[in-house]
Amino acid sequence: MKLPATSSSKAPVKPTADNLVPIRLDIETEGQRYKDAFTWNPSDPDSEVVVFAKRTVRDLKLPPQFITQIAQSIQTQLTEFRSYEGQDMYTAEKIVPIKLDLRVNHTLIKDHFLWDLNNYESDPEEFARTFCNDMGIEDPEVGPAVAFAIREQLYEIAIQSVASAREIKISKKGRRGAEHAISSKGGGNALDLMKLFRYNSSVVRKRKEWYVYEPIVDILSNEEVDALEAREDRNTR
Amino acid sequence: MEMPQYDPNTKPEFELYTIPSHSSWFRWDDIHETERTALKEFFDGSSISRTPKIYKEYRDFMINKYREEPSRRLTFTQVRKSLVGDVSLLHKVFRFLDEWGLINFGAVSRGDDSDNRDSSLGDTELKNQVKIEEGAPNGVRVVALPNSLKPISVPNSGADGSGNGKVAVAGETGVKLPPLASYSDVFGDLVKLKGFKCGSCGEQCNSGCYEYSKGSFVICEKCFKNGNYGEDKSKDDFRFSDLGGNSLTHGATWTEAETLLLLESVMRHGDNWELVAQNVPTKSKLDCISKLIELPFGEFMMGSAHEMNSCPTGSLNSLKEGQSASSENQNDVKMEDQVHDQMNESKQNGDAATEEPPAKRKRIAPLSDGGSTLIKQVAHISTMVGPHVTAAAAEAAVAALCNESSCPREIFDGDEDYLANGLSSPTMVSDPERALQVDASKMEENQSDLTETQDASSEKNDVPLNLRIRTATATALGAAAANAKLLADQEDREIEHLVAIIIETQMKKLHSKINYFDDLELIMEKEYNEMMQLKECLVEERIDVLERALKTGVSKWRS
Repeated sequence: MKLPATSSSKAPVKPTADNLVPIRLDIETEGQRYKDAFTWNPSDPDSEVVVFAKRTVRDLKLPPQFITQIAQSIQTQLTEFRSYEGQDMYTAEKIVPIKLDLRVNHTLIKDHFLWDLNNYESDPEEFARTFCNDMGIEDPEVGPAVAFAIREQLYEIAIQSVASAREIKISKKGRRGAEHAISSKGGGNALDLMKLFRYNSSVVRKRKEWYVYEPIVDILSNEEVDALEAREDRNTR
Repeated sequence: MEMPQYDPNTKPEFELYTIPSHSSWFRWDDIHETERTALKEFFDGSSISRTPKIYKEYRDFMINKYREEPSRRLTFTQVRKSLVGDVSLLHKVFRFLDEWGLINFGAVSRGDDSDNRDSSLGDTELKNQVKIEEGAPNGVRVVALPNSLKPISVPNSGADGSGNGKVAVAGETGVKLPPLASYSDVFGDLVKLKGFKCGSCGEQCNSGCYEYSKGSFVICEKCFKNGNYGEDKSKDDFRFSDLGGNSLTHGATWTEAETLLLLESVMRHGDNWELVAQNVPTKSKLDCISKLIELPFGEFMMGSAHEMNSCPTGSLNSLKEGQSASSENQNDVKMEDQVHDQMNESKQNGDAATEEPPAKRKRIAPLSDGGSTLIKQVAHISTMVGPHVTAAAAEAAVAALCNESSCPREIFDGDEDYLANGLSSPTMVSDPERALQVDASKMEENQSDLTETQDASSEKNDVPLNLRIRTATATALGAAAANAKLLADQEDREIEHLVAIIIETQMKKLHSKINYFDDLELIMEKEYNEMMQLKECLVEERIDVLERALKTGVSKWRS
């Protein structure tokens, strides 16, 4: 997504260790609702989208109308992603707070941590793996869900910054827009690095703040899961 | 304060922590080259959030946090909540410290490498306990815990539940040794089979156990229901972990019968996992899928199992291995079908191909190389898959040939049992040409029988015997040849490696000698210069003396 500092001619540099697109699906047809969230590799050929859609429908035993809808939805999101690729993004460092608040089957996760948008070696999947191992989560669906949530948020932040960068360029055309944009990027999501990493302040948080950044993992019982699902459905309708 | 070795004479006023000797460069008040190279981001001045000072803070915090309780394994999640910064970068620092043993060196080790292994403390803690009860191999002294030198005496049944308690009791008497890595390798498998032992009643927890979430305590279901939680523990602290067939860890215990059932059901039902799970009674759907993926040929099955319609089930059902790689069957069947007018050519090539030693094994050439002959392609394919797959492919090819004329089928049918015996023995060795040999020999027989006579019934009794003998000998020879080649390769590699080492050491010796001589030269030069200077001084003195002598007018002055 970003112009690379060093790159081979083939692959554009990736904002994270792998260039994956977060795809979210929410399709309703004939009274059946299919919700899913996963990551997709944009360098896969587009023919794979249809194959994936067919296989999903077969595995989940959905009615065949879903195939085209799923494929379309994925394609749209992919095209949108690709339109951002190659945009001129400033390689200034940007540390953003990421909040996790998701429920996967019986596991409820709340977490809050910092992520560097510019760290090309960052890997949401590895983070998710470590997270599940450390917290002793056995449900294999949690890891990918966590990685997906991280990617989604990073993606949104990246889109926002591209959009705002464009606006700034337009509004300040001719007037060294780049430098201004960098300095004004401190607002919004990015944390003010100057303030955080001052020379005479410590990077170790105060103890009383630890609970803010601590992950909370809850295992819910069946009734609680049902209650939550009902509430979610009501909210989205 | 830490010391890599223990000095028995000093009283332990400070806490002793062990770190491996290859990390002895570590100093609290300094940052070493190793750290600078491994974590360049902090030292190249690229960002205000990455400075040496910040790195040092991260590092010191993590190490101190670990040392608050050295026997407990520090996890990344525990530290990242207390540190400001990008979590990926923090994770990198954490991993760096972990790899160098500066943290988690004396901690109980997590389960080995598999992500599926239950990483709860209860498991590893019991692993340590079970180690105690197993006893040590001869010549190895096993310490009761990583932290003391006391050899094992009393196997505690873990009534107080925690190895942490034991650490405090054992006393800091000596060098803290980490658990021997090889121990877990050797006894790890035994541990897996043992299962969980209840902390309060001492029985095996077979179906399910409750884990104490704040420590390392396990109790069985009965005790949980009865309220025997052990001291100081309350009901809410326990977490249920199911040891029944549903948990991922127990999906790992697949017996051969179950695997066979699984393969059969996948063959029949393809992707319909509900039916497959029904047929394999003790395993859930999830387990079936994951087991199938783990099998080396599993993916082939899932792809085309449902496409396959008329695989000759009669011949395949007798072979356990034959149930795999239906796609391979398809490929081979197609290839054989397309080209059976090239039978003669392939027969000849078959002989030549089978004479080639297992050098084919090493090729990683593309699968379908149009330039090579059919038999070579088959050889390529068979090198890439296991022996049972090749056997199955051979069977299918034979069956396809049989479909053309029914009489040889009877011959081969009688041969199958023997083939199964012959093939199942060298299962560990992959010998591609064995299957080819079998194939070739069968094809030859096929040809000769077809051309000779139609009343094969009279010869039926003799022909199978010949075939049997041939297949048996072919099998044995092939297996031996493959084994020998493997060993030879290994030896070669070892020799190369050792020779390289020798050459390196010699070079190093030479280098140091050269350096030494250079130093000598320098010294000599200096001395020479000094001598020259001395000489000049002397000469000056003499001139002085002469001058004075002349001034005072010594008449007969002789130099």
